[in-house]
Amino acid sequence: MSLHSTSRKYHKWLMLFVGLQFVIWSMSGAYMVVMDIHYIHGDSLVIKDTPSINKEQVNYSINELLTEYPEAKNVKLGLLLDQAVYRFSVTKQKMMISAYDGQRLADINVAAAIKIAKQHFADENAEILATTLITKQPSAELSARHLPVWRVDFDDFASSSFYISATNGELVTKRHNFWRIFDWMFVFHVMDYVDGSPENKLLLLVTVLALFGSVFGVVLTYFRLTPTQVNKRIKR
Amino acid sequence: MGKVKSNANRIVKLSTIKAIHKWLSLVVFVQLLIWLGTGLFFNVMDHDKARGNQYRQAVQTVAIDPQALMATKQVLSQSERAVKELSLVQRLGQPYYLLTHEKALYRHFNNEYSLVNAYTGKTQQIDSVMASSLAQLSYSGKAQVTKISKVSPPIDDFLKEQNTLWKIDFADQLNTSVYLDAGSGRLVGHSNDDKRFVDFFFMLHFMDYPIFTKERTGGFNNGQIIFFALLTLLLCLTGLIWTIEMLLKGRYKLR
Repeated sequence: MSLHSTSRKYHKWLMLFVGLQFVIWSMSGAYMVVMDIHYIHGDSLVIKDTPSINKEQVNYSINELLTEYPEAKNVKLGLLLDQAVYRFSVTKQKMMISAYDGQRLADINVAAAIKIAKQHFADENAEILATTLITKQPSAELSARHLPVWRVDFDDFASSSFYISATNGELVTKRHNFWRIFDWMFVFHVMDYVDGSPENKLLLLVTVLALFGSVFGVVLTYFRLTPTQVNKRIKR
Repeated sequence: MGKVKSNANRIVKLSTIKAIHKWLSLVVFVQLLIWLGTGLFFNVMDHDKARGNQYRQAVQTVAIDPQALMATKQVLSQSERAVKELSLVQRLGQPYYLLTHEKALYRHFNNEYSLVNAYTGKTQQIDSVMASSLAQLSYSGKAQVTKISKVSPPIDDFLKEQNTLWKIDFADQLNTSVYLDAGSGRLVGHSNDDKRFVDFFFMLHFMDYPIFTKERTGGFNNGQIIFFALLTLLLCLTGLIWTIEMLLKGRYKLR
């Protein structure tokens, strides 16, 4: 069999098996390159300009904090709405106290979660559709290390959700529908159909077959499009 | 059904679809083979080596004397610039207040800091000597420092980084470089020849080629990849139609 007909045969058969994955690769790949990654991350949903700390609110010093909580790690002074607060962790547990008097602050309630979400959200016209307290088994779009969190859903075009830590009021994650689509596209792109399998044998097999199928395709391109080869075919 | 099909044939003839498939294959085949080849590489490569952390070690913290720390309010008072966040950090076994003046969404975006000695209240600049010491603390290898330099974006080893960094090179076999944020002294990361090798494959996969005066971005949202991705999508769709046509005509026969 000539190289030409061998290539035609193998291109035809290999693509019967991996052609669908080629369509999936090119569709998911096109989506991922066309959509701006910063938009996908939800960066444009968040207000850039953040307020500064008013030093008059800081009467309780880090010295006192470390005396009261000797095990405190990652001590950070920042804002909760307009209030100066210390956030830190004690044996992996997140804590928050007032920077004015060192009072332990209660967990974020639903009203505060809504206020915080709105404070960070760039689109002032967006209304809040739902708020949910998530304490265990988060969906795939949220890392379990952030728990417990408030999920605040907005009614904007992209169905954005802000995740606000219920213990320290920080905006921990932002998601929207185009992120959710992107996440699926990535799963399809790397053929991660069996969840959590680090060794992706399926992807390896299909990629190798796809590579062979493509090389045969390139041979066909040569035979079908090179002027001398095309002339030969016509003469025959 | 037959009617619908013949209508579709009239809009775009099958012969046109086949011609498009052939000509597109000529345009995209080099990049398509690169995509498949690099994709195969990502599948079989050593993911641990790709991180560049062969000689990275955790930096130990030391116990500090809370009573000797400068009061938080005083640190805020003496700062000439507004403070968005203040955190207690350690550098070289010494406590510092890290003041964030411009706070971006992520640490690799543009942030502005000052580092204040938590005992004396003196502002500390990260100079080359301090940068080198910080880098050596995070480095578990035995090699000497060969070069200390300040680098500004774009930085080949960390293309997404937007801040100025200190780069400390070590004389080991992997050509390890340690990067620190020049404003905060925070360890940004390690890089070495294993990671650079993988980065090269990512550049190929993302078509992040530094051509047409374009600088590398480390990302995949550039014009050339969008162009080739759309052509490849068309190549695959025309191929799909061709395959379906062959199936319908019974061209897939096992002899």
